[in-house]
Amino acid sequence: MKPTATIALIGNPNTGKSTLFNCLTGLRQHIANYPGITVDKKTGSMDVCGRTLEVVDLPGTYSLKAASEDERVVMDVLEGRNGARPDLLVFVVDATNIKRNLLLVSQAAELGLPAIIALNQCDAAKRNGITIEVAELSQRLGVQVIETVATRGRGVEDLKKAVCAALDHPSRLQRIEWPTCVTDSREMVRNGVRNLGGGEISDAEALRLIFDADSAHAASLPNQSQVALMIHSAREKIRAGGYSPGSVESVLHYRHIERLLDGVVASVGPVARTHESVDALLLNRFWGLLIFLGVMYVVFQSLYSWAGPLMDSVETATGWVQELVGPWLESAPTLQSLVVDGIIGGVGGVVVFMPQILILFFFIALLEDTGYMARAAFLMDKIFGWCGLNGKSFVPMLSGYACAIPGVMAARTLEDPKARLTTILMVPLMSCSARLPVYVLLIGAFIEPAYGPIVAGWALFGMHFIGIALALPIAWVVNRLYLKIKPQPFILEMPDYRVPTLRNVFFRMWERGREFVVRAGTVILAFSVLIWALLYFPRDASVEEKTRAAYVAEVSVSSTVAGVETALADPDSEQFTVLQQRIDGAYIEQSYLGRFGKWAQPVFDPAGFDWKITVGVLSSFPAREVIIATLGILYNLGAEVDEGSDDLRTVLAQEKWTEGPRMGQPVFTLPVVIGIMVFFALCAQCGATVAVVAKELNWRWAAISFFGMTALAWISAVLIYQVSGLFV
Amino acid sequence: MSSVLSLDKVPVGSGGLISAISSECDRAGRLSVLGFIPGRSLRVVRVAPLGDPISVSLDAQEISLRLTEAALIQVSVQP
Ligand SMILES: Nc1nc2c(ncn2[C@@H]2O[C@H](COP(=O)(O)OP(=O)(O)O)[C@@H](O)[C@H]2O)c(=O)[nH]1
Repeated sequence: MKPTATIALIGNPNTGKSTLFNCLTGLRQHIANYPGITVDKKTGSMDVCGRTLEVVDLPGTYSLKAASEDERVVMDVLEGRNGARPDLLVFVVDATNIKRNLLLVSQAAELGLPAIIALNQCDAAKRNGITIEVAELSQRLGVQVIETVATRGRGVEDLKKAVCAALDHPSRLQRIEWPTCVTDSREMVRNGVRNLGGGEISDAEALRLIFDADSAHAASLPNQSQVALMIHSAREKIRAGGYSPGSVESVLHYRHIERLLDGVVASVGPVARTHESVDALLLNRFWGLLIFLGVMYVVFQSLYSWAGPLMDSVETATGWVQELVGPWLESAPTLQSLVVDGIIGGVGGVVVFMPQILILFFFIALLEDTGYMARAAFLMDKIFGWCGLNGKSFVPMLSGYACAIPGVMAARTLEDPKARLTTILMVPLMSCSARLPVYVLLIGAFIEPAYGPIVAGWALFGMHFIGIALALPIAWVVNRLYLKIKPQPFILEMPDYRVPTLRNVFFRMWERGREFVVRAGTVILAFSVLIWALLYFPRDASVEEKTRAAYVAEVSVSSTVAGVETALADPDSEQFTVLQQRIDGAYIEQSYLGRFGKWAQPVFDPAGFDWKITVGVLSSFPAREVIIATLGILYNLGAEVDEGSDDLRTVLAQEKWTEGPRMGQPVFTLPVVIGIMVFFALCAQCGATVAVVAKELNWRWAAISFFGMTALAWISAVLIYQVSGLFV
Repeated sequence: MSSVLSLDKVPVGSGGLISAISSECDRAGRLSVLGFIPGRSLRVVRVAPLGDPISVSLDAQEISLRLTEAALIQVSVQP
């Protein structure tokens, strides 16, 4: 059934808006983006009194001041700038903090839309000793007020009935009486905009232009400079009336609200802040930091180790499906390889991120719902604040040490768009678990044998530290260079501690997981198929024949040709395996990516990388975890080697330059080894991360992040090689 | 006898009435939305272990803000 009317949920952050939205719509939800920006548009549908309504969940906001994208969306929807205006506003008001919550209601009254109020968290208000005369409040506001407890589903049926009644007999909120200095300047702005060719604007829009220092709406009007002049003189009018233009709106609304609430709200004595004694411990100089570290340790361990078995089973299942499907396509080897390696491998490569995403968002939902997230941000803000991040950057950055994908997604918890952007750009620099095999291989092969386990341990620590050590100064520079988004004050509400509801927590996990698959999954799959093709083609059969002939000639020195041929006919023989590994190596060497690697080797020559390292590095761009398998193929050991393989370590240690000025010298000298590790630590070698950054921000930022990190990695590797060359 | 201090200088545990907010339009506007307006009373609840930000109780809410923002708010401190 087509929706017959649209209702919009609007309210402050943390009032229970999402919980109520879930109660009203169940699973009938849909997430999209508002056109051109990265704010989520959550819509759903619900059936009441015989009709289907569309429900829009607007981003939580304290006011209609449109500085951030989130806030602009609210005003755009209310003004009908993207599609029709909603038919009814449902304000979600937190009963424990009714005065501040009513500010938004009072501001939005200017819009003249039909409205009702859901007075949520009534249970918590009662606990805090707050009583509210609902009937009187409703009388004074001019609209229905329904008491709800969204977490328990209480009052939801009443709310639905009220929605029906309000759609049939709409009533509007009482508007505030503005002093003449405000009404005069409002008229001045309306006339001015009309004369400057900006068309008709509403009273509410005119007020926004006056009250908001950088109104996003002003930027969309023609004749910018004249509009700015006009707004300036409108503000002067208000100043002449004895008010400060920056705060006049809040001052007058609060005055109105205080009158409105007089005799309606009573609280038993001064409000007892139940959380203060808990905070005394959790924000304590010593215990607070210790508990914080403990909590973060649990989050990180669960991402890092507990997700491991689940990821292994995803990989096992992928392998299983590949083995099941493979034989079916035996007759068409190219199609077989495409389906098995490209598509099934690619789908597996998407699903493999799910355990970490679900686990991280489970913890984030817990941290947010209990109220601890705000405390964690409070504790950490000093460390991150100086470089343009804020206390809430901690969780995304920490998650980045397990995997950048959930980390980048976790940056949603940052409301400030500038800090969120910077955090998203920094998360991929954290040393994720996929980098570990490279460190283990190279440290195990070159550093531990030469310098002992203690130095090896420090080297491993250093590799994990280098990302964050560079990220904070880089964030500082990015923030200085990129000044278009104005920094917003970091103002954080410390909510009461709450017992989280599992339903809500699981819902949030499910939502994020689904979003990852739908939004980023397709891009990751496409990358996977593309890279498969670059490593598979061209597939000239002569490569196999030549390799085979060379091998037969080589082995038959010590045995007869006939003997070699019989051994090769047996798929279980050692010779057969060795030949297969050489054929794989030969194919990869002449594949498009292999050729590109050889061709691009001069680019990496200043870092001391030979063509094999270069191919390994390049083929790791879609996903760095393939590096060990690629090295295995390149050094003719097969793709099954792992980072602990002694064969691979021995081969690497013996590898010598076969041409050029360094001919005969070992390839893997200490500076090269360190250079490779640093390159892997800093480079953006993860197609999935690039895709997620693009979906969370946009493709331009994804490109900046990709090229920026790659340049940083290259410069660092070259510096290490060149500078060490000066001393040897 | 009360003295006027900017909020970043008010010691933990003390409070008073907001006497003025710097007229810097944008940030003052954002603070005013949360209820930082002249005449309201507030109290500094605590300072973060690393010295910044601070948390302030204002009406029924507790809000944390950085010292740079707190410096915009003038408080006439009452013992
Ligand atoms: N005690 C109580 N807690 C609630 C109620 N509604 C929501 N919450 C909790 O308030 C927090 C914020 O809810 P959420 O729906 O995420 O708020 P939003 O930010 O407004 O979307 C969550 O921890 C909820 O469990 C309620 O009616 N009573």
